[in-house]
Amino acid sequence: MPDATVAGAVSEPQFAALVDAIAADPARRGQLAGLLREDHAIYAERGTAAIARMRGWILLAMARGGVSDAALVFVLEELDSGTDPYLVAAAARALRSGRLPHASLTPFVMSALANIRYRDEAVSFERYGEYAVSATGTSPVRELLATLAWLGPQARGLLAEVEALRAPVGGLPRKFRIDVERALAAIRDGDRGADAAGDCCGMRPAGSIGMHARAAEATPPSRAIEAMVLEDQDGTKTTFKAFFCGQPSIVVFFYTRCDNPMKCSLTIAKLARVQAMLEARGLADCIRTAAFTYDPAFDLPDRLRIYGQDRGVRTDAGHRLFRAAEGNDALREHFGLGVGFVGSLVNRHRIELYVLDAVGRVAVSFERLRWDEQEVVAHASAMLDGSPA
Amino acid sequence: MATKRKVAKKRSKPARRRSASPKVAARHAVSVATSPRYSVRERTAAAAETPLAVCESDKDMQAMLAVLRNTDEPVKVRLAALQSLQAASFSVLAFEACRGDYIATLRKVADDPDPELRQRVLGLLAREKDGYAQRKLLEGLHDPAKALLPPEKALQLLSYDVHADAYAAARAIVKKPPNEMARREALRLLAADATAAPMFEKLMRDKNELREIRQISASALSALKPERLQKSAREILLDKSDYDDIKATSLTALTQLGDEQALAKDKALLTSVNRFRSGKTSAKYKQTARRFLDKYDRQE
Amino acid sequence: MDVELQVNNSAAADARFLTWAPSPCRIRVTNPSGVTGPTVDVRIASVSAASGGELVFRLATTGAFASSLTVSVPINGTSVPFFAAGRFGRPSVANGDVRIEARMGTTLVGSLPVMVRIRKNANTLTTAERDRFVAAFARLNNQGLGRFADFRNMHTNVSSPQAHGAAGFLPWHRAYLLDLERELQAIDPGVALPYWRFDRPAPNLFQLEFLGVADALGTVQFSNANPLQFWRTDGVQGINRRPLFNTGSAPPGLRSEAQTLALGTQYRLFRTMEGNPHGSAHTSFGGSISSIGTAAKDPLFFLLHCNVDRLWAKWQRQNGRFDPALAASYDGAANPIGHNLPDSMWPWNGVTGNPRPPTAPGGALAASACVSAPGPQPVVRSQLDFQGVVSAASRMGFDYDDVAF
Repeated sequence: MPDATVAGAVSEPQFAALVDAIAADPARRGQLAGLLREDHAIYAERGTAAIARMRGWILLAMARGGVSDAALVFVLEELDSGTDPYLVAAAARALRSGRLPHASLTPFVMSALANIRYRDEAVSFERYGEYAVSATGTSPVRELLATLAWLGPQARGLLAEVEALRAPVGGLPRKFRIDVERALAAIRDGDRGADAAGDCCGMRPAGSIGMHARAAEATPPSRAIEAMVLEDQDGTKTTFKAFFCGQPSIVVFFYTRCDNPMKCSLTIAKLARVQAMLEARGLADCIRTAAFTYDPAFDLPDRLRIYGQDRGVRTDAGHRLFRAAEGNDALREHFGLGVGFVGSLVNRHRIELYVLDAVGRVAVSFERLRWDEQEVVAHASAMLDGSPA
Repeated sequence: MATKRKVAKKRSKPARRRSASPKVAARHAVSVATSPRYSVRERTAAAAETPLAVCESDKDMQAMLAVLRNTDEPVKVRLAALQSLQAASFSVLAFEACRGDYIATLRKVADDPDPELRQRVLGLLAREKDGYAQRKLLEGLHDPAKALLPPEKALQLLSYDVHADAYAAARAIVKKPPNEMARREALRLLAADATAAPMFEKLMRDKNELREIRQISASALSALKPERLQKSAREILLDKSDYDDIKATSLTALTQLGDEQALAKDKALLTSVNRFRSGKTSAKYKQTARRFLDKYDRQE
Repeated sequence: MDVELQVNNSAAADARFLTWAPSPCRIRVTNPSGVTGPTVDVRIASVSAASGGELVFRLATTGAFASSLTVSVPINGTSVPFFAAGRFGRPSVANGDVRIEARMGTTLVGSLPVMVRIRKNANTLTTAERDRFVAAFARLNNQGLGRFADFRNMHTNVSSPQAHGAAGFLPWHRAYLLDLERELQAIDPGVALPYWRFDRPAPNLFQLEFLGVADALGTVQFSNANPLQFWRTDGVQGINRRPLFNTGSAPPGLRSEAQTLALGTQYRLFRTMEGNPHGSAHTSFGGSISSIGTAAKDPLFFLLHCNVDRLWAKWQRQNGRFDPALAASYDGAANPIGHNLPDSMWPWNGVTGNPRPPTAPGGALAASACVSAPGPQPVVRSQLDFQGVVSAASRMGFDYDDVAF
């Protein structure tokens, strides 16, 4: 549980100084990634805007010293589903710091461009907490285009999409024309060199994948979580053990007041697609699905039901939306949830999906990056016959 | 001679606008709106015609932004420029190139000497969930010397984002309100706080509370703890000494949102509502009773 | 003898709604007793309640309308088609306030209550019309839990490129309003979406019993009897709307209807009305309605856009711009996706992921028992021929009180 007193004692300027000090020390620089966990005490009881400032500053600090493999996923997360211009800009800058480009990074940059282009605004990286009051300087779109240029020939697989950025209809505004041309030139220049098709650093970078196999380190559910009372969208009560033990399950987390359309709303819509896939393969009775709300105090059964219904989610004995009426502590511990709070309201959370085995242990997790429905179903199906996906 | 020239200009403008395409007319309107040679009235009228030009010409947009930023310009002209830019922002695809400059300028103007301009600009930024605006508003609530807006307005704008971390400030204001409107807005904001349900239940039942506060409380309770609203509404309706206005709110709530099975069987409640309908109260309140009875008091 | 009357080729009660555009109807003999001969002449006419709607009829798909019609109906049960429409200028004020009556001689042999259901000026609604609309809208919102949440989520910053700043602005919003209106009609079939005529004073709209009265702060107040007092969006209660004008007058600076209609006879010129009066109407207030990402939180948004759509409808009628094949009817220059005539429209097309938004709230466009158009996944071109002028099958089942067929 986040320690509110620690958070309350640290002002934002103090936080910035702390980050700068860590970043300046090569021996401590690796601690920066740890500061990006949503449930870190430093974020407790802070609003979302404050958290954006803080996380952005960490990403910029990483940009100065180079992003480690452990931290890469946080950068990609921001590009993949972020909607805050400052964070996206900082992530774009961080991505090209001290690493070698890799083709697998290009889709993240293009996705971020599509997400942020109509919310582009000037950002300031000069001082902590500074907001731009003039349009000179950088912006998330500019940073992303610079990162495309850095990717160079590694972005060749998406050359057509990059070229579309200068199309008269649907392309970026004229003011970005030079940046787009620069990126295109960098991408094409690689054609003149040898073997632009191959990636220059071998395998996909560690830390660029959101899926983690957890079976080896998974612990059985504690008594606390087994006994945990869950209330579903119809107000029916059950326990964690009664629902989750006996067959594999797919579990997602969300809350109805999430205002990032790339996160909770999409997660639940995709859960509906997962359910359809299970149904199509005749697995809907063998593999359960569940969606837990991070916000059980506000997300009462009616709210859960309607949220799921509006997104096409099926609900029946084996597929439900849940709230933990007595609080989420046991859930947080069992899953290691990536969520922080201000009061009872979520202030920041990651995308997270878990595949549980038949005794309720976490076998596979999909964290931070948007997950693929087929991949999730494949892993869950593998639980049925005990073999890995 | 100068006066005659100005009159001549005035005469020619309408003719040119009638025959000009919308684009040409819009560009001309920008030149009028941004020029100190014209009167405030002419400039504000012209500003209303500029949204199209702002979207299509960087030069025109920059000219309008410059007017907005310029504290030497008449406030009415600056407000008209703001409204025009705001109208242009609805054309999202066309406005894409302008947005960065627009947001930056709004932040610059957020602490403008003119209170109306500050309020509008902070409102615009708050609706974008802009961290800069939220920080300014929260600072003002914690330290009135830094307040850019009255506390009630700051709370109202912070309510656009439930994640703005305004609950603590709102609770402090409920406890020690600087004025009644601030208290009301603080309560409205707290209506999204799941932990505030007991407070709203108490307020809804308090006959000494203002009508509006009780109404807000009923609405808050309907979202946070619907079963408690039903209970409180019922008790209010059975209480002969409570006010007609809160009875009407309670009836409206139960008609829209009540547990149909339970209410249809509640004879004591139905009797009370019948009494309310036939008693000495206003026609519109009686109508709430009639709607309730139409729904729940069906003779088999 | 008895006959059965059908409106919109359906016996269902929820199909008995007419507009100014002709609806296909049918009559057939269900009980021929007392009749000799293979056919019987039946006179079809309408009977209106006081202030009720009035109907006109014709036999064929073209030709003049008349107050009554005599048809020769076979007694073997074969149905005979005819057409009925509301008489322009005489809409209904309540469901069933006009009846289609069939008489054999002076004997009434069939009768059907119907409604001439028309989108009207919100400022001149009757009290009953206003209250029904408000009740239905509040029900749709259901304090944030109702289907209205989908409509709010269709109009956000993220989705705004689908519907703004290019040619598809008007068609998209037409489909959006139609979808919402049909959901309201699923709650109360007698409701039609009214419009806020923003270039004229509309003092009756901004009242405690209707869309509320804003205090100095811009917090909208409602009477204790108004169900909109429970309005909630994004988990937050209430409506923020601060008029920047005296609501007893019209907002200043807006193009008048005449000026808007005179923007040009080509659609590419007319659609510049997106800036003024549309954008200017939005920004005549402070509060939710004045920013694109929050505008749909305010119920007034839908009345504002209903007027925008009415202006387009009127322009179409004045200039004969119903046919998408006519270049002047639409802006044929290359448009972004979702704005070209053959493009399907988000969210009804269910397409998600770049270049569309990440999710598609609301599902398919609501169906109607009266018409089949525009279908569950409308394309842009389907929004032009809303009255069925070019093709009767394109009729979408709505009309405006001052835009004739």
